[in-house]
Amino acid sequence: MPMSNLVDVGLSHYLALSAALFAIGMLGVLMRRNVIVMMMSIELMLNAVNLTFVAFSRFRDNMDGQAMVFFVMTVAAAEAAVGLALAVTIFKRFREVNIRYFEHLKG
Amino acid sequence: MNHALGISSYLIVAPMLALLAASLVPVMLKVFSGNREPHPFVTTTYGFIAVATALGLAITFLGGSKFGFHNALVSDGLSLWASVIVLVSGGFSIFMMHDHVETQTKLFSEKVFLLLGSLIGMLIVVLSNDLIVTFLGIETMSLCLYVLIAMSRETILSKEAAFKYFILGSFASAIFLYGIALIYGTAGTTQFPGLMEQVGPLLESRNHLFLIGIVFVVLGFAFKVSVFPFHFWTPDVYQGAPTPVTAFMATAVKAATFVAILRLFQSTGYQHSLPLKEVISWLAALTMLVGNAAAIMQANFKRMLAYSSVAHSGYLMVGVVAAGFGDSQGVASAAGIVVLFYLLAYSIMTLGSFAFVALLEKSVGQALQVDDVRGLARSHPVLAGCMAIVLFSLAGVPPLLGFFGKFGLFSLAIEQNFYWLAIWGVLNSVISVYYYLRPIVLMYMQGEDSSANAPLIEMNKHIMTRFTLFGSAVLIIIMGMFSSPILAALKAAILGRS
Repeated sequence: MPMSNLVDVGLSHYLALSAALFAIGMLGVLMRRNVIVMMMSIELMLNAVNLTFVAFSRFRDNMDGQAMVFFVMTVAAAEAAVGLALAVTIFKRFREVNIRYFEHLKG
Repeated sequence: MNHALGISSYLIVAPMLALLAASLVPVMLKVFSGNREPHPFVTTTYGFIAVATALGLAITFLGGSKFGFHNALVSDGLSLWASVIVLVSGGFSIFMMHDHVETQTKLFSEKVFLLLGSLIGMLIVVLSNDLIVTFLGIETMSLCLYVLIAMSRETILSKEAAFKYFILGSFASAIFLYGIALIYGTAGTTQFPGLMEQVGPLLESRNHLFLIGIVFVVLGFAFKVSVFPFHFWTPDVYQGAPTPVTAFMATAVKAATFVAILRLFQSTGYQHSLPLKEVISWLAALTMLVGNAAAIMQANFKRMLAYSSVAHSGYLMVGVVAAGFGDSQGVASAAGIVVLFYLLAYSIMTLGSFAFVALLEKSVGQALQVDDVRGLARSHPVLAGCMAIVLFSLAGVPPLLGFFGKFGLFSLAIEQNFYWLAIWGVLNSVISVYYYLRPIVLMYMQGEDSSANAPLIEMNKHIMTRFTLFGSAVLIIIMGMFSSPILAALKAAILGRS
């Protein structure tokens, strides 16, 4: 069977993948300066967490994790709504959605 | 398995339901009157009634040791007193919002709605018995705050502050959530009672995934209460936000989140991890130092108060360290008592100090400097006296409330053999005296250059903000005198559950 040549995908694979996605998202927030890209990176972090929840849920035979994913998705949607609204106000004021204009609060 | 929810579940959430119902009244009134903004005083009255009703319901139904919604919520002494602190802070913040030039706009009823929504989130946090419920509460509270900050009349600083808070807050929430996922995967539960039993065995067996989970959750909390490596947003956001909203953030958010941190550290199992103990002790120590050292250098009054709130988070972390890593049974309850008392004292003092700042801010976007209060005692002796009491209390001068809060925290640390942390805390309190006394010196002792005919400083005539400042000064004196009955009441409420 050709399938047997494949490595068995186990819990650690899922965890490694979600950790990698989470790290990419983190780097995105820290290094990018465009507001929209930063929000996308945060979304990536949240979805990496979702993957972790689902993987643990599957491999521990515990359905709680899947229920949590719904909560996380709802929160992510609410966060995106608020974030985009803030991006619009910033665009109205600075004509660009970039945080390089953020230099007024210092000290 | 019984899936029915008893009436007791709904009694526990009665304060939140009351807040939710009442928060809709002002916005609905606006919608049904053709989008015409009701008089701010009407909206404030509705907000006040909402908070007062929720406070009454909380005092009536919370406390004891009740669980609701299949153990997702817990109602004990800790949640009762934390709800009281949070709701009182919210009520005074609505008063200050009514007066302040940056918050009293055409969207005032929406702001009251958002503040009440944020209060619902905080009540969820203090009642939560499950990490995922804590997360939902924190998000409810924060999302309302982001918008509340951005809705200021001022257009540059507030937008920048709101966006910084939003990005960093969501970032911290994601880290917090990743921690919850790892804890769920290793411990198999996210409910605090089950989790607390697992902490010892999991840390003893060197389960790194679990340790990382705990660390991530602590980092998420650390952001919300501005503990050292995550405090950088605090001065910026506190400065950019309208002063009444800043007062709300500095008091209620901190009180709610510290209660959640205490619930996480209710186990003696944490002693199995020496690195965790070291890291959290150092976070506490560095938070105190960074907050106090930076506050000395600030010329802007709100930034100074922001760094002072960072320092107070450091003092409170001493209580958390004692709760998690103390060596006697029941230390978590003892820590709960002193931390709650400190939060109560801190909230009253902080509301007073921000009310003072709000009274001196006359125009939109005005950055009040510490030097601006020079000679204030000449024109406003009563208000200057109230502010002096608030500042003395923040510095921890003995007969006042702030002293008893610090005394409780540091004596608990000494009881649990954290001598260096207690000594470090006292040393930091001494440093803090410098910047707390500076405004008092400026208010009362004018320099040689300012002659008698120098123009007198005018303060705003805002009745409700004045009432907040005056009330906080009076409470500081009275509660300082009666601190032992208050501590006894806290003790009865918290120990009563076990």
